Amino acid sequence: MSSLIELGPLQLAVATLLVVAAGTISLVLRLGIERRLAISAVRTVVQLGLLGLILERVFSLRHPVVIIGILVLMTIFAAREAASRTSKSYRGIMIDAWLAMAVSCFAVGGVVTQLVVGVDPWYEPQYVIPLIGMILGNSLTGIALGLDRFLDHLSTRHGEIELRLAFGATRREALAAPLQDAVRTGMVPIINAMAAAGIVSLPGMMTGQILAGAPPLQAVAYQIVVMFMIAAAVAGGAMLVVLLAGRHFMGKDAVLRLDRLRTTK
Amino acid sequence: MLPFLTAGPFSARNGEGRVLFNDVSIELAEGELAVLDGPSGSGKSTLLRQLVGMVPTSGVTRELSGEVHTDMQLPGWRSLVTLVAQDAPMLAGTLGENTRFPFSQRCAGTRVPDETELARLTQATGLAAIPEDRDVGTLSGGERHRLALVRGLLWRPKVIVADEPLSGLDEETAVRCFELLREFAHQPGHGVLCVLHDRQLGARADRTVSLAARVSVEAS
Repeated sequence: MSSLIELGPLQLAVATLLVVAAGTISLVLRLGIERRLAISAVRTVVQLGLLGLILERVFSLRHPVVIIGILVLMTIFAAREAASRTSKSYRGIMIDAWLAMAVSCFAVGGVVTQLVVGVDPWYEPQYVIPLIGMILGNSLTGIALGLDRFLDHLSTRHGEIELRLAFGATRREALAAPLQDAVRTGMVPIINAMAAAGIVSLPGMMTGQILAGAPPLQAVAYQIVVMFMIAAAVAGGAMLVVLLAGRHFMGKDAVLRLDRLRTTK
Repeated sequence: MLPFLTAGPFSARNGEGRVLFNDVSIELAEGELAVLDGPSGSGKSTLLRQLVGMVPTSGVTRELSGEVHTDMQLPGWRSLVTLVAQDAPMLAGTLGENTRFPFSQRCAGTRVPDETELARLTQATGLAAIPEDRDVGTLSGGERHRLALVRGLLWRPKVIVADEPLSGLDEETAVRCFELLREFAHQPGHGVLCVLHDRQLGARADRTVSLAARVSVEAS
């Protein structure tokens, strides 16, 4: 197998020309997005650069407590991002998003790193951090979509929920429809990604492994594991976050508390 | 004789914090059709929603046939004292799903819809010609209100609490629907409390409770 071709400052400078080209198109067509493009490009460089530095350091630390600390930090950032993406909100949305994220990611990530891949030692950062990171990034989307849909369902279709309640529905029965709606919505992206994998799109991680010189079939095997773990994490995360949010809007007395819903955007 | 249904005390303020009603209690006799009257904006809908526990209440006692229902038993209470809500809300789906869904909920137990009764109700309300698989989104406002009434009557709770169930109906149909409600109310073990837009029909109820009057009486 060919080995990795290293990229230096010169190569990155050439790549920068590509972003400049995109910016030029924005200017010529008067899209007005060149400023945002520039800021995003700078953010990419700074954020990924920092991440690279941190990862190099973390990989050399190899201490379980440090690794777990980093993973928890990652879930907090992911939860913040997920909670900020919904168009409606409520008190405690951050905590719910974080709990759902942490439980689903650590459960699925645990199964994958310990049982499927069999990482040794169990906290080996080279495997644990990228794998959990991928679960987080994807379940973030699922949780945000699911939560957004759930809150939207509560505010636009509360008449239907109250109709069920009026005929004696329990909390579980009254929230079943919004829950299904939300989890289904949260799962659409990963289902589409799985269906299109390898035909319409070459999944990023697999492409990366091939570029790094891994045998294609090994890269494929890893990609399959990743797709499945994302599906599980998204389903679990979206369901959990909606269950947690549901408890917030309806207690055991099954009164729908729409007064607790806030519009953020 | 013990009252059939008693609930209260209820209090409510409007959005600006003005008191709508204070310390109001509701009593309904068995076999009675009572109309709740009051000027618009006096909180009639709010009071009905508080009665069935659709909005948060505190320190309220709800009692039916001598049995007290706590806040934790609200789902059970609502299956016995059922709200036919304002504007006839519908589940997205077909007409048949909408009339029958209560029977698929846990509180229905082993109860199933009475098909003979359903046929009689749809006949009496003029809905018999509409097929069960029609999407409720295609119904007119009047048809939706009649369907909501049919659903409430088919469910056969102990008490129907109806919030303007006859709006959007022509005079003749409104009278026929009102008769269905009255017939239901007059059966032993049942009762109806409703808000009616139509004063003439309201005058045909067994009793009229005026929300505004009650509040002033309680306050004096």
